[in-house]
Amino acid sequence: MKDLIKQYLDHGLSRRQLVSGLSALGMSTVAAKAVAQNLSPVAQGAAPPTAAAAAPTAIREVEGNGGRLFVEQLKSAGVEYIFFNPSTGDHPIFDALVDVAEIKLIKGIQEGAVVAMADGYARASGRTGVVVVANIGLPNAMTQMVNTWKDQIPMLVAVASIDQNALGRDQWQETDHHELMTEPITKWFWQVQSTAAMAETTRRALKFAATPPCGPVFLSLPTNTLEEHAKTQVWERSKFDVPMRIRPDKDDVEKAARMLIEAQNPLISIGDEITWSGGQKELIELAELLGAPVAGEMGNLGYWSKPFPTRHPLFIGTVLRTMRYPGKPDVLLNLGNRWGEFAALGTKLISIRLDPASLARGAPVDLGMVADLRLAIADLNAAVRSMATASTLKQIADQRAAKVRAYSAQMAEARLAIARGLSDSSPVSMERLGIELEANLDRDACYVADVDSGKTMDPLMAFGGDDKQYFGTGPNVLGWGMAAGFGVKLARPDAPVVSVVGDGSFLFSGPQPLWSMARYRAPVTVIVLNNHSYNNERNRIWNSAGRQFETARDMTCYNGDPDVDFAKAASAFGVEGETVKEPSGLKDAFARAKSATVEGRPYLLDIHIKREGLGAVSEWHPPYSVADLRTRKV
Amino acid sequence: MRVALSGLVAFAVAAATPALAQNANPLPAGDGRDIVAVACSQCHYLGTIAKIRDGAAGWRMYVDNMVLRGAQLTPAEIDKVVDYLSLNLGPGANLPPAKPVTLPDGAGKNLVETRCELCHDLERVATIERGRAQWPAIVANMVARGATATPEEAKTISDYLAANFGN
Ligand code: HEC
Ligand code: HEC
Ligand SMILES: Cc1ncc(C[n+]2csc(CCOP(=O)(O)OP(=O)(O)O)c2C)c(N)n1
Ligand SMILES: [Mg+2]
Repeated sequence: MKDLIKQYLDHGLSRRQLVSGLSALGMSTVAAKAVAQNLSPVAQGAAPPTAAAAAPTAIREVEGNGGRLFVEQLKSAGVEYIFFNPSTGDHPIFDALVDVAEIKLIKGIQEGAVVAMADGYARASGRTGVVVVANIGLPNAMTQMVNTWKDQIPMLVAVASIDQNALGRDQWQETDHHELMTEPITKWFWQVQSTAAMAETTRRALKFAATPPCGPVFLSLPTNTLEEHAKTQVWERSKFDVPMRIRPDKDDVEKAARMLIEAQNPLISIGDEITWSGGQKELIELAELLGAPVAGEMGNLGYWSKPFPTRHPLFIGTVLRTMRYPGKPDVLLNLGNRWGEFAALGTKLISIRLDPASLARGAPVDLGMVADLRLAIADLNAAVRSMATASTLKQIADQRAAKVRAYSAQMAEARLAIARGLSDSSPVSMERLGIELEANLDRDACYVADVDSGKTMDPLMAFGGDDKQYFGTGPNVLGWGMAAGFGVKLARPDAPVVSVVGDGSFLFSGPQPLWSMARYRAPVTVIVLNNHSYNNERNRIWNSAGRQFETARDMTCYNGDPDVDFAKAASAFGVEGETVKEPSGLKDAFARAKSATVEGRPYLLDIHIKREGLGAVSEWHPPYSVADLRTRKV
Repeated sequence: MRVALSGLVAFAVAAATPALAQNANPLPAGDGRDIVAVACSQCHYLGTIAKIRDGAAGWRMYVDNMVLRGAQLTPAEIDKVVDYLSLNLGPGANLPPAKPVTLPDGAGKNLVETRCELCHDLERVATIERGRAQWPAIVANMVARGATATPEEAKTISDYLAANFGN
């Protein structure tokens, strides 16, 4: 027994091996675990000198408990932040972080906010968001992981879980195979099998998360694997990075280029994969080379980024099934747009996608390519140039571009005229807010949008290119925006960041993200677009012309009773704010928000907004009172 | 008009379903119908449009809003579409059968019965209580949309509704 204990203290044995060794010698499991427990603080002790003294190389040997191995592997992979909310079982991770200055801890006070902070950080930095939350808080985290999953953002979510020796006993916080919960919304999920496998499994998780098409992965870390010791390698990112900077097939590119040059009425549909590949400049070059109209985001839902400058004269707005303008395309070039493949007789569809799984998933594709969008568009540009003389190309492009410009200029003017016509209403119209935001936000601002009907403001503003950078979510799982704004600010401390959230959206996350903004002094401007309603949800529901529509009874969406005071909520969480009820108050309110952020403080504007669409005027809601149900006053 | 919980789903289905199946065109004949049938069926079905009755101001509001959302209509076409909608789906036009609602007696009953059943039936007006203070605003909204009422008549109507359907 002495030998076993010595081996354990010398890190030659894992805790599990010690327990089974002691059991083999006839000790009861309970007693064996007690011995192991008593010894563990000694074994965990100070960081083994070998690791601490090791010279930084691409591959290092590290010895320590599982928590330390997890942290050391993250550090070697270049992880800067862990977004977290603690539980008892993951203490070895946080213990290890006491001595690892390279990784900073960012705390969120609800798991959804933790994930959305990491998600915003990942979108703005291109790096993997790393999240550690409590086992039992996993379902909270999962709501926001849906945004991460659908938009293919790299993220590692880890929880400390039940000790492997006790697994399956239906302990009070145990749900069998909890990692399976994450199956439909992760690229990969795994339970770490031993401390010796900790670093390797963590690497694999990081690799899966960050290999495009990216996405969240989930790791379950049994507490014994975090507590027991092992000596293993940790690798730098370069040793397990899968670049996926794939060029498309040369012949296919030439075919596509020929189709585009010969097209009478080409249309380019664009999506987020261009943003992820960093192909925005190449896209502008291609559109201008062909003089082809570019269409992007779809309806009120849609893309999380705007990869083409929305005020570029070749940008014509939404991709629609039937484009009245510029008429039916004879060639539709879909670039990195998951929903941009439309089938129509007489239209040839070329689709270039980073994600093979959703290429040709619904519509028949004439020419499909899987590639990095930046490289693919650059190759396409080169092929187009090589196939026609500059003057021929210019001739084709100029004629077409002139028509597109005329259309986009006319529509921009029409939109502005509509918006101006609505701009004096009180409470503030969404259109007025759009005009004011465009006038008041800095051109290099990051605009983080998590508001449903508020997206009608988007076409009144300029995004992409040298203009504001847009961050939203494709699936619109609300409660993302404030926390994501924090993450964007963390990734881009030198850019002004504004989060625009609906009153509904705010209440899905609750004020919790403000807590992190206050604690870490994140100068983000939060705008609550407060129309006292799930406005767009009601639009959609009433749009089915059912009984609520017929009787004008809004059974579900009116939020104005109670009338939540968001500025007051912010103040309870240490964030200054104010309420704006009239359009005339906007300008000064923006100025106050700006001076707060310039001084390094977050600021919240609760802007009362006019509801729009079907049923907008109604304040009626089903009048139930629980107090009235009582037969005695208790 | 819409097929599922989100515009996105409507879009996805629209993309995958043959055009004919979706667009059994419920719109009444009239100048401008063809534009509406195409421009207004890209993101949702036309059914609800055909069920709405509204004045020109109300229709313009919807159409303007759709242009901001991405409907492809030039300014001249916007006017044409609003004209079509307010003529063919305006107050009193092609009304579906109304649900019978019996109103309590009182000054204003007659006005409500004659002025307030032209765009929707009285089930929308006089079956549930709304805040007393809301009624003048609701009536003003209806007048702005195209209900005919002098300021005195509007006051009579809102007083009547507040007295009988106010809380
Ligand atoms: C020109 C067409 C038109 C006429 C005439 C009209 N309405 Fe309406 N009414 C509408 C429309 C359209 C809506 C739905 C508005 C919405 O949902 O945003 C509506 C909705 C309503 C509602 C529900 C709104 C709420 O706040 O919940 C009430 C109540 C109502 N009307 C009352 C009246 C009364 C009273 C009159 C007569 C003075 C009247 N309406 C005449 C078009 C009309
Ligand atoms: C680019 C997409 C798009 C086009 C094109 C479009 N709509 Fe809509 N429409 C929407 C969305 C989104 C809603 C909100 C409810 C929903 O999602 O179904 C909506 C809702 C409506 C409503 C209900 C009122 C409201 O605001 O909720 C009406 C009426 C309507 N549309 C009329 C039209 C008309 C008329 C046209 C043609 C001029 C049109 N739509 C074209 C996207 C569109
Ligand atoms: C987490 C989550 N729950 C429910 C929904 C369904 N939903 C879609 S829009 C909406 C209302 C949004 O209200 P708000 O944020 O105030 O936006 P508005 O339309 O009023 O601008 C709801 C509840 C959702 N998208 N996400
Ligand atoms: Mg709202």
